[in-house]
Amino acid sequence: MGKTALVVDDSPTMRQMVAFTLMNAGFTVIEAEHGKDAVKKIAGKKMDIVVTDLNMPEMDGIALIKELRKSADFKYTPILMLTTESAVEKKMAGKEAGATGWIVKPFNPDVLLKTIAKVLPT
Amino acid sequence: MSNEFEQFQDAFFEEAAEHLAIVEEGLLQLERHPEDLDLLNKIFRSAHSIKGASGMFGFDAVAQFTHKMETLLDLLRSGKKSVTPGLTDLLLKSTDCLKTLLDGVKLNAPVDDNVVQRLSTELAAVSAGEGERASASSPTAVAEPPASSGGAYDIRWTPPEWLFRRGLDPLQIFKELARIGRLGRVNVDTSRLPDLNNMNPETCYLSWTMRLETAASPKEVESVFEFVREDGELSIEAVAVPDSAPTVSGADVQREAKSATLEISEGGPKSIGEILVESGAVSKEALERALSQQKRVGEILIEQKAATPQQIEQALQTQRQMEAAAQAKKADTASIRVDTAKIDKLINLVGELVITQSMLSDLGTRFEMGQVHVLLERIAQLERNTREIQERVMSIRMVPIGTAFSRFPRLVRDLAAKLGKKIQLVLSGEETELDKTVIEAIGDPLTHLVRNAADHGLEMPEERLDNNKPETGVIKLNAFHESGNICITVEDDGRGLNRDKILAKAVKQGLVADGAALSDDQIHALIMKPGFSTAEQVSDLSGRGVGMDVVKRNIEALGGTVSIKTVLGKGTTFTLKLPLTLAIIEGMTIRVGRETYIVPMLSILESIQPKPEAVKTIVGNGELIDVRGIYLPVIRLYEVFNVQPEYEDPAKAILLVVETEGERVAVMVDEILGQQQVVIKSMEQNFRKVQGIAGATILGDGTVGFILDVRGLLEIARQEAAAADAA
Repeated sequence: MGKTALVVDDSPTMRQMVAFTLMNAGFTVIEAEHGKDAVKKIAGKKMDIVVTDLNMPEMDGIALIKELRKSADFKYTPILMLTTESAVEKKMAGKEAGATGWIVKPFNPDVLLKTIAKVLPT
Repeated sequence: MSNEFEQFQDAFFEEAAEHLAIVEEGLLQLERHPEDLDLLNKIFRSAHSIKGASGMFGFDAVAQFTHKMETLLDLLRSGKKSVTPGLTDLLLKSTDCLKTLLDGVKLNAPVDDNVVQRLSTELAAVSAGEGERASASSPTAVAEPPASSGGAYDIRWTPPEWLFRRGLDPLQIFKELARIGRLGRVNVDTSRLPDLNNMNPETCYLSWTMRLETAASPKEVESVFEFVREDGELSIEAVAVPDSAPTVSGADVQREAKSATLEISEGGPKSIGEILVESGAVSKEALERALSQQKRVGEILIEQKAATPQQIEQALQTQRQMEAAAQAKKADTASIRVDTAKIDKLINLVGELVITQSMLSDLGTRFEMGQVHVLLERIAQLERNTREIQERVMSIRMVPIGTAFSRFPRLVRDLAAKLGKKIQLVLSGEETELDKTVIEAIGDPLTHLVRNAADHGLEMPEERLDNNKPETGVIKLNAFHESGNICITVEDDGRGLNRDKILAKAVKQGLVADGAALSDDQIHALIMKPGFSTAEQVSDLSGRGVGMDVVKRNIEALGGTVSIKTVLGKGTTFTLKLPLTLAIIEGMTIRVGRETYIVPMLSILESIQPKPEAVKTIVGNGELIDVRGIYLPVIRLYEVFNVQPEYEDPAKAILLVVETEGERVAVMVDEILGQQQVVIKSMEQNFRKVQGIAGATILGDGTVGFILDVRGLLEIARQEAAAADAA
């Protein structure tokens, strides 16, 4: 069984770029547009890693991380947030909510995969 | 840098255009509802998305500019600044600028750096003060470890207690360290571990000291702890090692780093200069010096007096244009985003089609005459499947007209400000779907109509008040489906068209004879005559003549019609009637002799069987028919296409009155067969252009039927009249 990843971003371009990179690396990917969509799509599922944007409509990344950490299935799942250089406050809030780490935009596929490798349980 | 992401560029441009529309529309709404936080959040998110994704493709100018907009938007949404007309205006201008920046990278279009610079400064200026907060807060400062001598590091690490609760695992860290070097002694400190009763299994009580032998820089070692170093305690100290580990000098590390960046920055094969620099044979500086002495072809030609500087400059300009054109062409092969539900439905239908087909072929292998009713049933089913699939496939090209409408709130706002008028724009029917090509083609005509309505249709506020009208004029844009067509109306409650003045002007222009009895409709149609528009403006006439002929021509090129309804002093409504798609038309099948032709339904006004005395031949005008007092030229289709007709006497045949561009003509045919949808096949692509024929289609019996081009027929009528005259 390959690894599974949840990719959450309201920007289809960003989402596809991340999802595409992960799929090429052998992940099975579930894509979601925002927190609410993600919660709906992963109901009853376990994932190996979550990559989420922070600024999103409906339910933003911070709320999603909090929500995931509440569920037994996602208590210890690594969650990476996509942030920008300037959004330091957001990053802190994300960490407080339980995010494992972050990837600073812009990034290239290599950085994305290396960062994931850093936190992915073996 | 992100070559693998390049394939997503088109998707990005499409998305960015959507975000831009959201930002623009949002800002316009914000002017009316400055307190709307949801709206601000929405605008902010769109700007944020553009920034994030543009950075991914290395469109730094776009990313930087959007970042400035985002900073201001962030201040607005957090309430640190309040929304003022000045700020929305600045943001709207910035949105325009962002649009040109995006076009700049997409189509290589020119970008006015001055504008970008000025707006950037302005954005930064208004965000200043509070703005520092956004950029100044750097991560909790970490003492920069001493510069590396290379070799080994002593690391002491006490992770934060909640390490596990964030999905982190110390084991990951050790693995990562082991990957970049050799982990020597690792000692674990268990002194903080409580007894089993008091232990929380989710808390990390351990800390470690270890030695890492590696050639990696302190930065690299530190980056292993990236996600934990700000919270726990971490110290990384470089230590001198006895010659056990391979030592790498700092210079070597630097050279390695340099060649690495070169490799990343270049996609294609390397130039000789780069290879020499990499191998260390030549320094980078020396290479740059050498390159700076190299001359360009243009410079050499000028020196040798083979070409003048002007010629070179011109050639360079042509080259730039060609590049831009090539880029534009590339961008033109646009993609379309289709709802997955539409595709799923289509796949289902194809499945049904396959079932029907297999049922039919099964029936065919053992068919008996007694089963004719089954056969007919199956065929009916096939027909149903086909029609449904046709509809679904057509719907793939359908997009909501809202995309074409979205530019108008901004346009009207700017027009109102420029003209000093108060204008309210009301949009409805935005969800009405039509063919993407049609949507793209109606943008300009619609803009023209809206501009005219604002400019000439609506009165100044004082004038409106004098006429007991509300101060604010209303322009309504509506779209709806009507019997297989789409109707778009542009309605204003302005002063309306003045028929007497139009008539007087048309007479003066020589467009109509003095004293001609014209219906209101015919008079209003005059403003769309080509001659009418080029004339000087009559100020108190609504002046709609400007370019109206172009609007009409554009709409007719799409197989549509334009009609005008107006009430003096109350307002004017323009109605555009368009086919849903350009690929299929509603046609009337007619017969001449043994040939079948198709006439587009939209151009048919009526069909008549004339009395023998109604048809007259007049010198200079060829054959004419009297239709209720108006004389129309007659075209005998059998003469045009040289076929043997059933009737040569107009009184026995049928005359179809067709109209295009306001001109009418009667087309003589033998019989009207019926009405049906036909798929247009291009003549030019499959054969060559034939005058009087717009295209061809395949008829029910498998033969080819020609679709008549009404405009071309009119042209033929004119030529024949001229030829008859000359003879």
